[in-house]
Parts: sequence; structure tokens; C-alpha cells
Amino acid sequence: MIKITNEDFNLEEEFLKISSKKNGAYSFFLGTVRDDILKNKKKIDGIFLECYQDLAHQQLTKIRNQAIQQWQLTECNIVHRIGSLGLGEKIVLVITSSKHRANSISACEYVIDNLKANVAFWKFNIFGENQEAVEFKKKDLDKFLQWSNIVKTN
Amino acid sequence: MKITIKYFSWIRVKLKKGSEEFDFEKNTSFKTASNILIKKHPYFKEIFDDSSIKFFLNLSEIEDHEIILKDGDVIALLPPVTGG
Repeated sequence: MIKITNEDFNLEEEFLKISSKKNGAYSFFLGTVRDDILKNKKKIDGIFLECYQDLAHQQLTKIRNQAIQQWQLTECNIVHRIGSLGLGEKIVLVITSSKHRANSISACEYVIDNLKANVAFWKFNIFGENQEAVEFKKKDLDKFLQWSNIVKTN
Repeated sequence: MKITIKYFSWIRVKLKKGSEEFDFEKNTSFKTASNILIKKHPYFKEIFDDSSIKFFLNLSEIEDHEIILKDGDVIALLPPVTGG
């Protein structure tokens, strides 16, 4: 299941959606809004998340299918919020399930690494009434490229 | 023919709009359309010269800039992503 939403989500509810006695392992990645002070000493008040929804949904579906196939997952759910989010609020959730832990852990890391490097979301830092686009981090692309020997990503 | 261009992130902020519709002659290629837009609006030069920006046509990344556009096509201009 892929969900792009303006609404907050509940971790227990998201877990119950994929909970099954067939599974022996679940892995979670939860990204939240960090109370951050930038290099220019500016303190952020929150973030705004923009998305090209049709494309992001297509991209996330492909990533999910790759992860399920590569690591024999029993399920993989991805929830990503859009709109204005305050400090500490949840941004993104990846849950993977499998028979054994190594598969769910690797798959969960792959999904979030791929999402951060490739999926059509853009963050803006909020400072009072102003917003500034967050710059792409090369380290996110480098982290994703480490998977190229393991997963056929094209 | 009508072509919609969608703008995201700093491009949307710079142009102060999320999308725009343009009229091109039939059988116009993406490359020709890009050149027409650059002549029409100088701000498109910065965008089309920026190698970090990806161009999508109807949800597929444009690899061949000679691709011929069709009426109703949607082009998206995507700066590097920063989600998650």
C-alpha cells in the first residue's frame, strides 16, 4: 500500500494493516521533522512538503515492487505526508514484513534510500512567514547508489 | 496544440505558478518547444540549461529531446528531489 496524505498517521494502525502470523519480522523507518538550526544560524519553525502526486505514486509503486521481489517481503507499506508539518511531526513511514529479519531490515533501508534520492517530493524549510527550498544532498544520492550492486534499480 | 507544463519546488516559487498551458504547432518536438519557450521567457533559459533538472513527459522521464509532443501532453520540470 502506498499512501500520500495531508493527514497524520498512527503507527499502531499502520502496523496492524500488515500484521500477520506468517511474518517473523517487521522493520520500520519513521522520518520526522527535526528541530534544526541551519548553517546560516536560522532556526526552522517547520517544513512544507510539495509533491507531484501522480509521479510519486508511480515511483513508489515501482520501488515497493522491487523491494518485495528482491527480499521476498510479505508486505511493504509506504506512507508519506505532504503540506505543512510542525517540528517533531511524522513525515514518512516505511514498514516491511518478511519471514526473517535480514530481509525486512535491508528492504526497509533500500526503500527509504531510494525514496530520498528519486521520488518527486520537495521540502521547504519554514521560517515564520517565509519558506526556502531545501537543497538536494549528494550524500542521499551516494547512499542510494550503494544499492546498485544489489538491486537492479532501472 | 495545447501543452501543459508543471513547475515544482524552486521553479514553482520563481515563476509564481504551479502550471501553465502553452500553444505549439502540431508535430513540435520537446527540443523545439524548449527553444520557443526560452525565446518567449528568459527565465526558461536558466531552467533548460540546468543539468540537475529532470524533464518528464506524461510521467516518463524524457531521454530523447527530439520526442514529438502531442495535444494534451503534460511536461513536468523537476528539480532534484528532497523528500523523506
